[in-house]
Amino acid sequence: MTKRHVKKRSWLPIAVVLLLAVAFYAYQRLSAPPAAASVSLDAIPAFTDQPYVTVNDNKPFFKADELNTTVFETYSELDSLGRCGVAYANICQELMPTEERGSIGQVKPTGWQVSKYDFVDGKYLYNRCHLIGFQLAGENANKQNLITGTRYLNVTGMLPFENMVADYVKETDHHVLYRVTPLFDGSNLVASGVLMEAESVEDQGAGVMFCVYCYNSQPGVVIDYATGENRAA
Amino acid sequence: MIVMVCVDDDGGMLFNHRRQSQDALLRKHILDLTAGKRLWMNAYSAGQFEACPQLQVAEDFLQQAGAEDYCFVEDADLAPYASRIRQLIFYRWHRRYPSDRRFPLDLAGWTLLRSADLVGRSHPVITEEVYVK
Repeated sequence: MTKRHVKKRSWLPIAVVLLLAVAFYAYQRLSAPPAAASVSLDAIPAFTDQPYVTVNDNKPFFKADELNTTVFETYSELDSLGRCGVAYANICQELMPTEERGSIGQVKPTGWQVSKYDFVDGKYLYNRCHLIGFQLAGENANKQNLITGTRYLNVTGMLPFENMVADYVKETDHHVLYRVTPLFDGSNLVASGVLMEAESVEDQGAGVMFCVYCYNSQPGVVIDYATGENRAA
Repeated sequence: MIVMVCVDDDGGMLFNHRRQSQDALLRKHILDLTAGKRLWMNAYSAGQFEACPQLQVAEDFLQQAGAEDYCFVEDADLAPYASRIRQLIFYRWHRRYPSDRRFPLDLAGWTLLRSADLVGRSHPVITEEVYVK
């Protein structure tokens, strides 16, 4: 009887250990900043006339065990200068917005300036540029997801890649692992550009795969990336 | 042959060896349009279509297709077969995607016969443009 009683309770320590392990894993997953891709600005060619260049032969730096269908979106805490860091998500229909985009005008990302040029599409040099586009994750005025980006970066550089991912997810109901890393040179307040990585999960990248660096430049404008100040070239 | 291609606002077709976009309602439209005819494509393109009687799948489909046959072209090289094309059907996504391969032929000498808008599943408007020589 006693032996039986002891045996009945023998699972308790194992269950407690398992529970603690699961809780620890969940805590780490939710609280840790998203891992950044290891790309140095030194390895990026200077901007010429193309909005982006491919990096690492267009293969993202995700680890194999990251390619799963667990839904998440994570944004880095702002650094000591108030700058955004890595934004990382597993894009799927569940994350996509179901409502119209709201106002984001109250957010002033680092280096923000209001500058107008007649030759810039929409006149304004700078946009509040989503790291993970609104159409992908429905984030509005999230200061951890908005950088000071040129119109050229926002519309010519990043938007086509966001469109590709959005269409794929809507058409297939699959997941796309998606990470955007703003790259700042030293203590500059305006990012030099963003690294965009994406890989479709269920078909192991057959549908979507890219790894590109988009320049935060604007043809015809000289930008002081330390402050955001700018002038016509 | 009658060639069908999907292009974005820059005339793009592919990026990193992958189609720029797709749309289930456009696929249905293509199958309706080609019902009773032969619709050729390679295995990459056929992967997004359900099995249907008109579907002919071959890697050298542009070589095999007859004058009245339809060819749905995504990643195949059209240029060597330009002289055999008697009709071109563009499906315009009305969006901009990244592209590293664009539609390769010059449309000089081609005439726009008709144009119509379709409603897609994930694309509000897809424009069908039919060109003839």
